[in-house]
Amino acid sequence: MLITSRAQCYVSNFELLGSDFQTVRTQAPVIDTTALTINTIVFYGTDLKNLYPQFSLVTDAKLDPKIIGKVDFSDLANPKKYTVISGNRQVKKTYTVYITVQPKP
Amino acid sequence: MVIVIFFSSCKDKEYAIPLPKTGLNNDCIKRSLGPNIVGMNIEFTYAMALPNATGKLVSSQVEATIAGATGTYLENKSYYTNGSGVDVGIVVGNPSVTTSTKTEVIFSKDTCASTLRYFYYIPEEARGKSVSFTFSAKSSDGESVSYTMGPYVISKMDMKLDLVLSDNNNSYLSIADMAVYNSAAAVANADKIDLVYLYRAITGITFLHSLVSPANTEYLPGVTLPAGVTKSTKVSKAWSLRDFNLARLQYGVYIDDVDFDVIDLKDAPNYAINTKAEAGVWVETADGKYRAYVYVNKVDNTTKTMTVSIKRLQVK
Repeated sequence: MLITSRAQCYVSNFELLGSDFQTVRTQAPVIDTTALTINTIVFYGTDLKNLYPQFSLVTDAKLDPKIIGKVDFSDLANPKKYTVISGNRQVKKTYTVYITVQPKP
Repeated sequence: MVIVIFFSSCKDKEYAIPLPKTGLNNDCIKRSLGPNIVGMNIEFTYAMALPNATGKLVSSQVEATIAGATGTYLENKSYYTNGSGVDVGIVVGNPSVTTSTKTEVIFSKDTCASTLRYFYYIPEEARGKSVSFTFSAKSSDGESVSYTMGPYVISKMDMKLDLVLSDNNNSYLSIADMAVYNSAAAVANADKIDLVYLYRAITGITFLHSLVSPANTEYLPGVTLPAGVTKSTKVSKAWSLRDFNLARLQYGVYIDDVDFDVIDLKDAPNYAINTKAEAGVWVETADGKYRAYVYVNKVDNTTKTMTVSIKRLQVK
């Protein structure tokens, strides 16, 4: 990817798909670009071991580690972290993804 | 120095009406698509013709390398499509006679051109093997022609259509038997029960129609399992995989043997809740012997039932 002059560095959207490539989110994710957190609630019964995250980033930014396939989000005690790197490669922000499973009523 | 340049004009060849082929000719096409599954047909259309002045068709025969099962026949009618778009059959021969690998129709009407449909009912003996077909025709002037089709590989998979699962009644699904059992029968076949079907309408979550391994009691609320029903079966949800043979809808997608060989279910969970109509689940039995695709034909929230059709391959 090209290195540009952009210094913006944030996640604009977060999607989470199950093994059938349908969304497992119950509502829009809550992305806090200051606290650097992404909070999402997933359906009761979601299999957390086989999820496909999709990050939407600001123009020219890239993500580390790259998403290359399914991701195991089942370790809720150790939430996964993803670093966004700005277009000019100077700014790095690490987001933590918190997943909450809908509780059974 | 004299340079002489010659110009010559190209004359278009005069158009001549194509001459019909002489003698008896034939052609064949395979009409059925997708995997060749035991218990289904392979369908062909076989066309034979000779100039009217030369003679008429006497007989038509198909020889298969592996004898077709009962129900294999060569059509004895020629079809035309009428003004309303309906195919109308005209009897042109005696009903076909099948002897071992050969199926023959003797023409009973004077006709110099005919296209007959051939339906090969795939026998159990052909499973996993290749089958070839030789189509042949004879005419009254002593000529004969033949056309070879194939070889076609016969699938190793099994298929079962329209099994009805109902909540708290016939809710035990066996992939090994490709059958649905109620709780009494489940006790008798406890080691064959792979999945439990249940329907739950729980406020606040979407549970609805679900297929859960007996081992995962967390997703079996209100279910009392019969004794011995304890398996953990791998289940992976799939979306929009409307296999043509199972769904019988307009989508030309086919699951073949190779799809069962390559699918990786080792990290799959052992339950699938909120399954929807026209979706499905990939399944691998606990002993790894079978992999299957269970397609959900329809669901009914009122009767708490789910109709499924299954394709299954023995992989071990």
